[in-house]
Amino acid sequence: MKIKDKIYNLITYIASSMGIIVLIAILLFIFNKGFNKLSLQMIFGKYWAVNYISVEPIKSGNFELTNEIDGIYSKNWGIALKDGDSKNITITFIHKDSPFNNLIVKDGSINLQKGYTIEKIDLGELSVGKIVGNNAQDVISTIDNYQTIQSVYFKSQSGGIFGGVIATFYLILISLSIVLPIGISSSIYLKEYEKNKKFKAILQYGIDTLTGIPSLVYGLVGVTVLFPITQLVNINSTSILLGGLTMSIILLPTIIKATNDALDNVPDSLRQGSLSLGATNFQTIYKVVLPCCINGILTGVLLSIGRVIGESAALIYTMGTFVNDAPKISSSGSSLAVMIYSFMVQENPNMELASAVSIIILIIVMILNVILRVFGKKFERKLV
Amino acid sequence: MNTLNKNKLIDSIARYIFMAMTIISSSFTIILFAFLFVKGIKPFLPNYEYGMINFFEFLFGMVYRQDKGIYGIGFIIINTIITGFLSLIISLPISVLTSLFIVKIVPKKFGVMMRYVVDILSGVPSVVYGVFASGLITLMVKNIGYFFGIPTAGGNSMLSVIILLAIMIFPTITSMSITAITAVDKNLEMASLALGATKTQTNFKVVLLAAKSGIFSGAILGLGRAYGEATAVSMVAGNKLYGPTFNLFDITRTLTSTMLSGLKETSGVDYDIRFSIGLILLIVIFGSNIILNVAKRRIGK
Repeated sequence: MKIKDKIYNLITYIASSMGIIVLIAILLFIFNKGFNKLSLQMIFGKYWAVNYISVEPIKSGNFELTNEIDGIYSKNWGIALKDGDSKNITITFIHKDSPFNNLIVKDGSINLQKGYTIEKIDLGELSVGKIVGNNAQDVISTIDNYQTIQSVYFKSQSGGIFGGVIATFYLILISLSIVLPIGISSSIYLKEYEKNKKFKAILQYGIDTLTGIPSLVYGLVGVTVLFPITQLVNINSTSILLGGLTMSIILLPTIIKATNDALDNVPDSLRQGSLSLGATNFQTIYKVVLPCCINGILTGVLLSIGRVIGESAALIYTMGTFVNDAPKISSSGSSLAVMIYSFMVQENPNMELASAVSIIILIIVMILNVILRVFGKKFERKLV
Repeated sequence: MNTLNKNKLIDSIARYIFMAMTIISSSFTIILFAFLFVKGIKPFLPNYEYGMINFFEFLFGMVYRQDKGIYGIGFIIINTIITGFLSLIISLPISVLTSLFIVKIVPKKFGVMMRYVVDILSGVPSVVYGVFASGLITLMVKNIGYFFGIPTAGGNSMLSVIILLAIMIFPTITSMSITAITAVDKNLEMASLALGATKTQTNFKVVLLAAKSGIFSGAILGLGRAYGEATAVSMVAGNKLYGPTFNLFDITRTLTSTMLSGLKETSGVDYDIRFSIGLILLIVIFGSNIILNVAKRRIGK
């Protein structure tokens, strides 16, 4: 008997360690793949590189350096270059007096910055750069022999995800501002007003069914049912607004359930006290019941934020997978999660960048989880 | 008197606003089904603008080639059901044992930590699971295939999909089971212990049996999630053109991965057929819900 028990227990131990192992494996994998890509530049930068060609020649000078720097340095030009990923020639350092600091381009002047890549340098009789097939060493040793550079063709840094951050923020804002009034009112009606049990059950069933529908289907329905609504405000393609509207339907059950739980926790004596003092039903709800629910509603909001940040399937249809660096509510764009999807399904999947974005999302999810725990505890303490 | 009337008016206005909001939120389900149905059956009607598709060939066809205009999703339905059920079979015992462990076996402090693990796993977005799957799970499957001398398409395979889905539905089933096991009547346990059963025997033979119904609900929910999971699955499924797939190491195609493939089109048959597949997906999900619910009632007796 004892041995049998021990075997049973051992099986439970093994089974429950699986969850921990999987979580650790996910974290290790994502951090291992993406941690090197993670930087402030990546979070706040643009995804698409901008091309620039300088139109006026620059002259060399003497820019001696005393300290060590990364990359190969040219003291005549005050610039250091390094071979980056996929044969890019990346700028690692620019001397503060370097002529590269003030390049005249078509619409004004621009400062070259660390992280930009040199595509081609035109020296008059010959050109060097990535396009011509040179590496950083070639470029530096060639331009050191010349006094004048006719023009420089360079690219700003790419691979940033700030557009996704903005799009995600918009999405959260739009979907919450739609779902909160509808969800909270529905919840109040179901709990405080409707006395007909049958009707209430039907309404509740309709809302509960929403939970079981896959988000991909919401996306499909979003482009047909909600698209005419965005057309009213003159948006005729997939847009962040459409994504936000779709998300608000997805979030509805979450908000309704959270509010409902909170309403259940408000003691009936509070309601009766308010009503017996002559307050109307609405006054009771507005001034007595709802203030008690604020923690519960906040729980729902946090859950919803987590859901919006992680949602991808519904948004692929409604917002498109195009990575937009300057998303507007009326334009298409991709949230962080959709970005991961488009990085993974493009012709050359970019697992590193996808993992780096995943790290950001995972960190946000964990922070939300911690806040939820704290809230949950406060909530219990206050009312029980 | 005047203020009293005013308050009463506000009260009844508020009531109607709340009621309207509730009816709106509740009727989304109906709107959703209605639109999906109308859009979904369009390709099978005689006056369809891009040429009618035979419904029976669509439902029972074993080849799906958009480039040749052949839309048979019979094998895709079979693939979806197989992958969903196999992932449930893997995930269910692990989830149930984990929840038993959390609620009954382990000290409370450690249990709280385990719950936190489950919470985080359920909060991990599906795209992140997708990245994980196409990086690590496929690698694992590729190596297993290599070990047995079976070639795989870079690890994209039915087995990868099953493992991925098993991981993804684990938190859903576990949290439902935790609720069910916590709700088991303490007296039942006491009675079992008093009759001389050991703690482990009680856990396995009394507690689990009593929590059966809740665990079953968790399984139904998990299966629904497995069927409906899209982005992560589409990253490792491989989208086979014919089927059904029975070889674990062969690539497969599910309803959701089909819906996500070829996103470029914005009109035409390829666009409209997605709605039909979406409709079928809902039917598969609700159909298996009903079957499992009937089974649950049978077992419950």
